[in-house]
Amino acid sequence: MNSEIYYEITRFLTREARLLDDRKFEEWLALFADDIVYRMPVRVTRESKDRTGKDNAMTYFEESKISLTTRVKRLRTSSAWAEDPPLHTRHFVSNIDVEDCEHPDEYKVVSYFLTKRSRGVDHEAEQIFGERHDVLRRVNGEWKIHSRTIYPDQSVLTVMNLSMFL
Amino acid sequence: MAGRHNVRNGIDKELLAEIKQKLEQGLFPQWMVTDPDIYDLEVDKIFGRTWQYLGHESELKEAGDYVTRWLMDDPVLLVKNKKGEINVFLNSCSHRGTHLCTADVGNRKTFTCPFHGWSFNTDGELIGVVAGDKVFGERLNKQDWNLHKIPRVDTYRGMIFGNLDPNAMPLEDYLGDLKWYIDLFLARSDGGMEVIGAPQRWVVNTNWKMSTENFGGDPYHVATTHKSTVELGISPKDPFYASYGHQVKLNHGHCVNVSTTGPGFSVPSYQGLPEEMWPMFERNLSKEQLEVYKQTVVIVGTCFPNLSFHCPVHGNEGHLHNYLTLRIWRPIGPDKIEIWAWFLIDKAAPEEYKMQSYKGYVASFGPSGTLEADDTEIWTRVAKASKGKMARNREMKYNNVLNYMMGMDKIEPDESWPGPGIAYPTCFVDYALRGMHEYWLELLTKEYEDEQ
Repeated sequence: MNSEIYYEITRFLTREARLLDDRKFEEWLALFADDIVYRMPVRVTRESKDRTGKDNAMTYFEESKISLTTRVKRLRTSSAWAEDPPLHTRHFVSNIDVEDCEHPDEYKVVSYFLTKRSRGVDHEAEQIFGERHDVLRRVNGEWKIHSRTIYPDQSVLTVMNLSMFL
Repeated sequence: MAGRHNVRNGIDKELLAEIKQKLEQGLFPQWMVTDPDIYDLEVDKIFGRTWQYLGHESELKEAGDYVTRWLMDDPVLLVKNKKGEINVFLNSCSHRGTHLCTADVGNRKTFTCPFHGWSFNTDGELIGVVAGDKVFGERLNKQDWNLHKIPRVDTYRGMIFGNLDPNAMPLEDYLGDLKWYIDLFLARSDGGMEVIGAPQRWVVNTNWKMSTENFGGDPYHVATTHKSTVELGISPKDPFYASYGHQVKLNHGHCVNVSTTGPGFSVPSYQGLPEEMWPMFERNLSKEQLEVYKQTVVIVGTCFPNLSFHCPVHGNEGHLHNYLTLRIWRPIGPDKIEIWAWFLIDKAAPEEYKMQSYKGYVASFGPSGTLEADDTEIWTRVAKASKGKMARNREMKYNNVLNYMMGMDKIEPDESWPGPGIAYPTCFVDYALRGMHEYWLELLTKEYEDEQ
């Protein structure tokens, strides 16, 4: 992996965050491959001997391209009350780490996320944070997300819903 | 108003009598929604006395498996001992009260307190005291310092309940007629239901009564709150579609809504579960239960006070699948709840079906659910608008009462209904919620009578 690839991937993730915060959900959706597996496992607090608190048997998101499309369409209806009035969101992405895959145009990308959102006139912002494990692939010079697993760091989410995307 | 004496926080018997009058008219004074004084009473007189859901037997498989839970503010440890029995303790070291085990789930032979090293086995027995004889001598009788058991623990078809009141009525009696309805999903198949994975948990700024009522007896909200799913073609267009079926008012404040199909909306028999499972239903359920269950699309309700259940038919990517979600609306304060949501499916269901059900659940319910995301929005809005001086005026001089009058004196019970309880031939009524309020007030009031 060379620095040019790293730069492209960083820009890609930054642009993705921007699309979400600008509520350009259809354009965001186009960043995903048709066979995308988009998951967000439940985080469980475990003893250190058990190594991981990532529970893959239950999730907050278990999505395909079709179901993600349904979610985006829902946000475009006249009655998605959780997002109407729209929340003001800020998707921060950092600590981007890129690794080669066996496939020459494919990369494993781990990034940290912090998503803050302001609801209406609430004084306190809601937030959610953790890391994302993506597989990105470049096809004909275009980057696509082939899989995304989102691991929140909170065992109990302090957002009242996940009406947004991560 | 005269003669009112301050029994507790300005809420006395006379005020409760006034509330009763309002409730009888189908009115709920808005000041009580998030009132801290009412909440304070609820903590003791409702949550301290009723059966509280703690978990499901399928979450603990091997000896030493444990999960930690909360019974309101009390930390609770559920652990399977060597004999395969599930013990339920206050998750607090008997020495200085330290929160003993803080992981959500795990497996242990012993639980050692990180404060002074006292250790306990899976039967809660104190088995190790650091420097025991040297520092405590003969004054320490270990058996006196075992973990404290939750006063009452009982199970019903895999569901584990605890109760802080040693004199509470047996769980069997408390659930009462509700058993007939929850058996439709808990007992329909061989081996019952199993929990898949860990519960989803999230925090919502609302009062527990909002979510309890929402699942307990509010199919009326479906067409509006979830209109986005109608626009998407996931839910039927008919604004009455959630009204078809029966709402049942049960004893002890429990509520059930059994929905059936209406015009233009068809779901195969037995919630569209695979036909290979039907012989089990026919074997395990009574004739009356089968008669109801065969037509059922959705069963949703509340086991008073804060355990709700939702057993619908929902889709993901155009498919329709059945599942069960059990809910705890754990009150954190008058305007905050922590939701615990478990996904369950029949142990005996085909593996492929279980996977599709799980996907259908995550798509529609839980914090990201295309349906549930909007519910939390609405519950929050009710709490938010109920905190002001006008809404919270206890004299109700602004007529600050909420409307629970739907169906009053208009809809008569369906005498031909094969199940127990008082069943109304539509889900667009407030009978079940008024029943819940009656019992809620009875519990608050009863204690005053005991004290006098």
